[in-house]
Amino acid sequence: MAQKKPADTAEHRTSSQVIKDLHERMVRIRLFETEAGKLMEAGRLPGFLHLYVGQEAVAAGVMAALRDDDQITSTHRGHGHAVAKGVGFREMYAELYGRATGACLGRGGSMHINDVSLGMLGANGIVGAGVPIAVGAAFAARYKGEDSVAVTFFGDGATNIGAFHEGANMAAVLGLPVVFVCENNGYAEFTPQSQHMLLTDVADRAASYGMPSVIVDGMDAVAVHRAATDAVARARSGAGPMMIEAKTYRYFDHQGVKGLRHPYRSDEEVAEWKARDPIDLLEARAAADGTATRAELDDTWQRTRDEIAEAIAYAESSPLPDTADLLLNVYSG
Amino acid sequence: MSDVAVEVLLPKIGLTMQEGTIEEWLVPTGAAVAEGEALLRIATDKVDVDVEAEAGGLLHPVVPAGTTVPAGALIGWLLAEGEQPPDPAGTPMPAGSGAGTGTAGGPASVWSTALGAASGSPAPKTGVAGAGVSAGPTTPGAGTGFPAPMQTGAAAGTLAGPTASGILTASPASAAPPLNGGGATTAGPAGRLLASPNARRVALGAGVDLTAVRGTGPRGRIVSEDVEEFLAGLPGEAAPSLRSATPVVSASPVPPATAVSSVTAVSPLVRRLAKERGIDLSEVNGTGPGGRIRRSDLDPAGPPREPAPRRRNAAPRPGDVLPLTGMRGTIARRMHASLQEMAQLTHGYEVRMDAVVSLRDRLKEEWADTELPVPTLNDFLLKAAALALRTHPLLNATVRDDGIHLLDDVHLGFAVAVPGGLMVPVIEDAAVLPLPEIARTAKALAQAAREGRIPPDRLEGATFTVTSLGGYGVDFFTPVINPGNVAILGVGRLRDGVEWLDDRPLRTRVLTLSLTFDHRAVDGAPAAEYLRTVGELLRKPLRLLV
Amino acid sequence: MTTLTQEQAAVPDGTVRKLTYVKAFNEGLAQAMREDENVFVAGEDVAGYGGVFRMFDNLLDEFGPRRMIDTPISEAALVGLGVGAAARGLRPVVDLMFMDFIGVCLDQIVNQAAKMKYMFGGAVSVPLTITTASGAGLGAAAQHSQSLEAWLAHVPGLKVVMPCDAYTAKGLTVSAIRDDNPVVVMLNKVLLGSTGHVPEEIYGIPLGRAHTARQGSDVTVIALGRMVGEALAAADELAAEGVEIEVIDPRTVQPLDTETMFASVRRTNRALVVHEAVTFGGLGAEIAAQIQDAVFDHLDAPVLRIGAPFSPVPFSPVLEKAYVPDRARIVQGCRRLLERA
Repeated sequence: MAQKKPADTAEHRTSSQVIKDLHERMVRIRLFETEAGKLMEAGRLPGFLHLYVGQEAVAAGVMAALRDDDQITSTHRGHGHAVAKGVGFREMYAELYGRATGACLGRGGSMHINDVSLGMLGANGIVGAGVPIAVGAAFAARYKGEDSVAVTFFGDGATNIGAFHEGANMAAVLGLPVVFVCENNGYAEFTPQSQHMLLTDVADRAASYGMPSVIVDGMDAVAVHRAATDAVARARSGAGPMMIEAKTYRYFDHQGVKGLRHPYRSDEEVAEWKARDPIDLLEARAAADGTATRAELDDTWQRTRDEIAEAIAYAESSPLPDTADLLLNVYSG
Repeated sequence: MSDVAVEVLLPKIGLTMQEGTIEEWLVPTGAAVAEGEALLRIATDKVDVDVEAEAGGLLHPVVPAGTTVPAGALIGWLLAEGEQPPDPAGTPMPAGSGAGTGTAGGPASVWSTALGAASGSPAPKTGVAGAGVSAGPTTPGAGTGFPAPMQTGAAAGTLAGPTASGILTASPASAAPPLNGGGATTAGPAGRLLASPNARRVALGAGVDLTAVRGTGPRGRIVSEDVEEFLAGLPGEAAPSLRSATPVVSASPVPPATAVSSVTAVSPLVRRLAKERGIDLSEVNGTGPGGRIRRSDLDPAGPPREPAPRRRNAAPRPGDVLPLTGMRGTIARRMHASLQEMAQLTHGYEVRMDAVVSLRDRLKEEWADTELPVPTLNDFLLKAAALALRTHPLLNATVRDDGIHLLDDVHLGFAVAVPGGLMVPVIEDAAVLPLPEIARTAKALAQAAREGRIPPDRLEGATFTVTSLGGYGVDFFTPVINPGNVAILGVGRLRDGVEWLDDRPLRTRVLTLSLTFDHRAVDGAPAAEYLRTVGELLRKPLRLLV
Repeated sequence: MTTLTQEQAAVPDGTVRKLTYVKAFNEGLAQAMREDENVFVAGEDVAGYGGVFRMFDNLLDEFGPRRMIDTPISEAALVGLGVGAAARGLRPVVDLMFMDFIGVCLDQIVNQAAKMKYMFGGAVSVPLTITTASGAGLGAAAQHSQSLEAWLAHVPGLKVVMPCDAYTAKGLTVSAIRDDNPVVVMLNKVLLGSTGHVPEEIYGIPLGRAHTARQGSDVTVIALGRMVGEALAAADELAAEGVEIEVIDPRTVQPLDTETMFASVRRTNRALVVHEAVTFGGLGAEIAAQIQDAVFDHLDAPVLRIGAPFSPVPFSPVLEKAYVPDRARIVQGCRRLLERA
């Protein structure tokens, strides 16, 4: 099945509303993550932190194409998906702090942030594990006669694990409304794509399951949004699953903020990607086509900063979980 | 808590107590007890009584429950935290090889001697090597005379170190007679006593010193049944102090198969039946596979075995043999001694009770709203008997070597039937007590006696005794005098009598008194005079009220 | 919820209806599907073929392809499908055919199904039922004969049931489906054709409650799955010798009803645990540890474990027979516990 080539979005006008929506989602992710990184470096957060900075266009572009009742499954690098899907700063920071008010009541941490009311079926600490779960969510939607879809996010590295292949094949043979979004940031943790697969494009893998795919510039939120809109519409119509491969890049390390050990990627490479920063690209585009004023964009930054400051204060002042409730929610009933 | 070990001695309760049985340790071994706290319950020939701790400390019993020891014997220690009893013989459970020193020093008592011998057994040299293990147990009787009990453990094939059999045979226990028919202590490797947790729990509850119990479980481990059987005093497991050494397993040849069979198991059913029938399983030839004892092996082909004494408080049933111990033994001994020593004979004497009956009816009516207890017929009789003694001092006496001592005070004993026997509580100065006081006292003492909580001193010092079988429909009987007294008054059934007024019969109320007296001190005539006085007092009972 | 005892398993005319283990399972599943529209079945060859053990016979005819889903041989995706569907409010029944296959989908069971509710701060429930056939005895060899309950019982969030007969096959399956947690139903292959009394109406058997299959005073035998029948046979044999063993069928190994075991051991003072799984690290170790912890002072013997030796399940029937615990070994174990000189 043929791949679609990346759409050249520069020549297409996108509505002011969508531009501002994409911008706000990206700014929210960017500020949430950079502040979280600072808190982690300051030693104020327990546990791991897999930051999403650099990949904002993917989450923002896909999520802007979804309804609240559409379901997503995320990855260990899941903050961006959660923020873009609408999960609140307060419960997210509180969860990073391990507080009782957190999104998981302090039981999950960074890798399990979820909000089922918003269709966020969780980040996931196991690479590839969210894929079959999204297949199940899509199955449930169809079983119940609903027209919601399920989107599963995964990285390039995850496409080497069985669950991805099993899930892709299962979705395809069952004809389920699943959109597979590969965020190809070029690295499986610290291993470059060239060393973990012989393909250049992960999207080639979709063909083996009889599934159409499209490759987009993962730094271009508008491009991602258009591809996602198409794929979601297709899935919602009952035409089955589709894959989007978004070529993107993470600014920070696999875990944490800075690389601690070997320089597995060059400064030049990082600088090259940063020169095409997804937020800068969108703001430049808005300025160019007049879909948003500088003042409007600055206002978004400022409002978001204020909201984050408040959310961090909320998290820090939140109570710690009660150890007496250690066994809470191990079982239902 | 005391700084140094405090001895716990069996207290002498009352002047006549010679020995007592430790019914129960009320505090677990090793548990802290405060001064004044109830420590153990003992049974004397008269009464069960709780004994309080004289000092605080951690209880370290030396003598297990169920054992009878003389008054004043060392029965335990109250220790400070971490303290060892001064005499290693007092160690109930040897914890390690160090316990082996106990046999050398001169133990203070029979019991501690035996325990010392048993508990002090160090792990033997034999059997340490694997060769020793296999050689010993698979050769029945080789060099030891104790072929059997350890075949089990060795044959089970689980022992790497010394076997229990090795321990037994090399133990001082084979030199010094062990407590309960051979091989009380079951020591495992390194001399540790092998007892199951349940056995320890049961033993603790019953105050049993496990070193006195023979283990029959795997590798000779003491299991709870061993403790229960020890407590029940099954043949081969009777009270330690009474036992002489006998081999654990009878001399009856064990089929050779047993020695090499994997397990000489006895099913719980067989064990239960054996227990019920009082059969010592060690004396039963198993005819099942590998010498296994089958149910049919228990059926008596030969003479019936010595039946097992039953547990305390069990209702006696046909076929039981009740041991002549405790209260039963005391009664037997004292009654027999009484009849052997004294020249006893009995007068029967009918007394009119009309006046007492009608006075009692009036009192029931008039005292209904008062706190005064309405005296029973027996209370009237007690008072009458006591008062009559004031005028017949010969019957309130005791015979000693130097003559007949007439006693100053009248302390009236009265017999009360209690479970398992009878007790004789004493009403002091009964002659001077008003009848309501006698009624109150008699009732309280009888109740305390029946409930087993009567203070021992209230069973001491009777100078005369009244006993009634009227309630059982007996008119006349020959009561046996309590040793130390010269007479006892039996009270018969209240019944209708007839008195002739001219030719006209008049219905009366009468009962028969049975006075047994010691002819050594009292002759027939003064005994009859005493009875007449009693009869007169009963005809004019108002005098008895005050 | 209806709970019936085996004794009540009589049809209206007073006769007792017997059903095979596999048919009892099938009937319970069908009734649960009729009871709740959200119940569906997915697995390999469950729909068109009716399951390789005929566990799902005739269900496609009644419930159609919407609710009877044949899937690729993709256990990870299969269980993941169940997890996602359960999180979205359905009550999936996914079949793993052979228990040995959980190796290829353990992540979805252990890291996803079991933990989702907890990790999500209680925001979702995962009412997922996983059915699978376990156990040796059919010459199915090392990769198709295992009893891996210990793996699963070790995972907080999972429940594991082990039906030992037709009655429990139906009742435990119904309860598993009704339960709001992921439950693994370990059917036993050897028992599939065995028959027993089964009520016609739908009934559940409470999860986490042990059943005293036989009362006795001398040894408590805690038997898992098929070993319940072996233990009852052992009880008959021992009864002839005057030994009365109490047989406890935990029915559910997670959660485990230890109170029933403790109460029994307090009376018998001796305990034996028997399961098909290898002894090392098996449920027997857990049960023995809990017993010694809770009722140590009531034991007259160490808790005895009987399980398989530490080897894969062998193929050759003679080896397999020697491998799997049976009545004779239970009898021997009881004798060993009761051994007295």
